[in-house]
Amino acid sequence: MVHDLVARYGARTILNGVNLRVEPGEIRVILGGSGCGKSTLLKHCIGLIPPAEGRVELLGQPLHALEGAARTALLTRIGMLFQNGALLGSLTIGENVALPLEAHTDLSPAVILEIVRLKLAMVEMSHAEHLLPSEISGGMRKRAALARAMALDPDLLFCDEPSAGLDPLTSRELDETLLRLRDRFGMAVVVVTHELASIETIADRVIFLSAGRPLADDTYQRVRQHDHPEISSFFARVAAGEMRGGPSALEVLTKGGH
Amino acid sequence: MSAPSPVFTAALDGGRLCLGGRLERATARALSHALERHAPSPGGALIVDLKGVDYMDSAAIGALLDAQRRAAARGSVWRVEGVSDTARRALSLFRLGPEQAAPPPPTPLMEAVGEGAYAARTALGDFLQLAADTTFALADPRKLRLGAFIEQCVYMGSQALPIVGLIAALLGLTLAFQSAYQLRQFGADIYVANLTGIAMVREMGPLMTAILVAGRSGSSIAAEIATMQVSEEIDALKVMGLDPIQFLALPRLAAIILVVPLLTLMADLLGVFGGYLVGVLYLDLTSGVYISKTIEALAPGDLLSSMFKSLIFGWGIGLIGLHFGFQARGGAGEVGRTTTASVVASIFYLVIAGCFFSVLFYVVL
Ligand SMILES: Nc1ncnc2c1ncn2[C@@H]1O[C@H](COP(=O)(O)OP(=O)(O)OP(=O)(O)O)[C@@H](O)[C@H]1O
Ligand SMILES: [Mg+2]
Repeated sequence: MVHDLVARYGARTILNGVNLRVEPGEIRVILGGSGCGKSTLLKHCIGLIPPAEGRVELLGQPLHALEGAARTALLTRIGMLFQNGALLGSLTIGENVALPLEAHTDLSPAVILEIVRLKLAMVEMSHAEHLLPSEISGGMRKRAALARAMALDPDLLFCDEPSAGLDPLTSRELDETLLRLRDRFGMAVVVVTHELASIETIADRVIFLSAGRPLADDTYQRVRQHDHPEISSFFARVAAGEMRGGPSALEVLTKGGH
Repeated sequence: MSAPSPVFTAALDGGRLCLGGRLERATARALSHALERHAPSPGGALIVDLKGVDYMDSAAIGALLDAQRRAAARGSVWRVEGVSDTARRALSLFRLGPEQAAPPPPTPLMEAVGEGAYAARTALGDFLQLAADTTFALADPRKLRLGAFIEQCVYMGSQALPIVGLIAALLGLTLAFQSAYQLRQFGADIYVANLTGIAMVREMGPLMTAILVAGRSGSSIAAEIATMQVSEEIDALKVMGLDPIQFLALPRLAAIILVVPLLTLMADLLGVFGGYLVGVLYLDLTSGVYISKTIEALAPGDLLSSMFKSLIFGWGIGLIGLHFGFQARGGAGEVGRTTTASVVASIFYLVIAGCFFSVLFYVVL
């Protein structure tokens, strides 16, 4: 799907030759340290940023080359859960979820309302239908945003850190929701996450990014056993500071120089 | 009573500086001074002894590292020997990060000018693109989201009525008084009606309304869109296959184009009414005379051109607000800056456009 992607912000190269293939009906997890470009990769996948080099193909179609109705049609087949939810602040949760349905279907308002309630129930947010995004917590916002991303039953769902900011129980329920969606609808899901427990539950295949390139791209089990120090320390949760820090102040001061 | 204030001691003993007591935030400055006073001469050496230290925090470590760095720059030896247990614990807790390259020096003037010009050209290009997109979309009224349009009309129009009306009336009143003083000297009181009418309808009404709308609605357009931009809401719209121009820009732009001329019409009338009050109550003109003089002074074209002018004003204010909003990047602080910048730009635009209209009408009429 993603071929030889190079991503730059100005002169800074963030991703340098990333290849990523997602099969239908699999949950693909993107791993990597903070700031390594995971969100950037997702933004390229959903067409928000055009690639500096390389190309992106979604469901067999070149998203970035499409325009007008063809592009919209393709976009209705994908869903995206943003890192901070990105719900529209001026609309209630229910209206947010209804938005894609109103824009891209000719269903009657009554039917749309039923669908909205189904999606909200799926993420256990029914009680928040009439609240504004500013009136609910960060974790609730994320769940509501998942309901919105699911509004059109996409074939492909992208999630940027879905479980960050959720309590362990809700996070677990969210994982199960994703698994159910995969199993019942054959939906493919691309997830960026740091939660080890969550990775263990949901990941079919994992890609590990570092310094703009994939360090490993394999089944979860095999990436887990990978012997690259950065990957093993990630799974062993070795604090990065202990590993990477420079000399201690004691060493510097007693050795007489930096 | 509490213990005496924290102290540290520094004593020079041969080439050895013995530090003792509490080396902490409160004493770090004094520590720096002591270290500077006893700094080794170029090529010389200083041994720092920390055996007597009872307490040490990161501020003191910073002072020590700084002194060592300075000494190294002068080519002298500067070293710690002998460390108390407390000091050892503190010193081994903190690690030095890798040396970072210094941030790039500020861009030289000529390059900065070039970059600025380039950025301005890009921004102008984006602005024209936005103007073209919105104008094109406005031509197809089916694309307008009616609910959002009405909501914006209510906010920009109805809710602005009291303030615009009040200011217009007071302005008319002031104009009438000012001209009355002058005209009275010639016994030409009666022309207060002409003067107030023409000034209000041709200049003050449209300009004052537009400035109020720029401060009220132009700024809120910029702030709303900028907030949505930095919180990724606009990205979310795009991914849902919704066009932000159609979804966000059109209702606002259509509303402002409709509402500003209507507000201006009301401001014109209330401004004239303000003058009328002065004329009737203060100058003892009869109400019939005042009204007929006003009507005589104003050509029907004046009212029309007043509204046309305000339509162009409103269109510009709306576009500028949208443009600045969509350009916002970065965090929450950006929203405030964007909003202010858009209001300044709007008012600048109003003055320029006002000038242009004055010249145009002068030449044409
Ligand atoms: N709009 C931007 N302009 C310039 N640089 C950016 C921009 N957005 C992100 N970056 C840079 O790109 C790099 C990757 O950012 P990105 O948000 O993709 O990281 P991430 O892997 O998602 O991190 P996290 O796990 O913290 O969410 C970062 O170093 C960041 O500084
Ligand atoms: Mg991210």
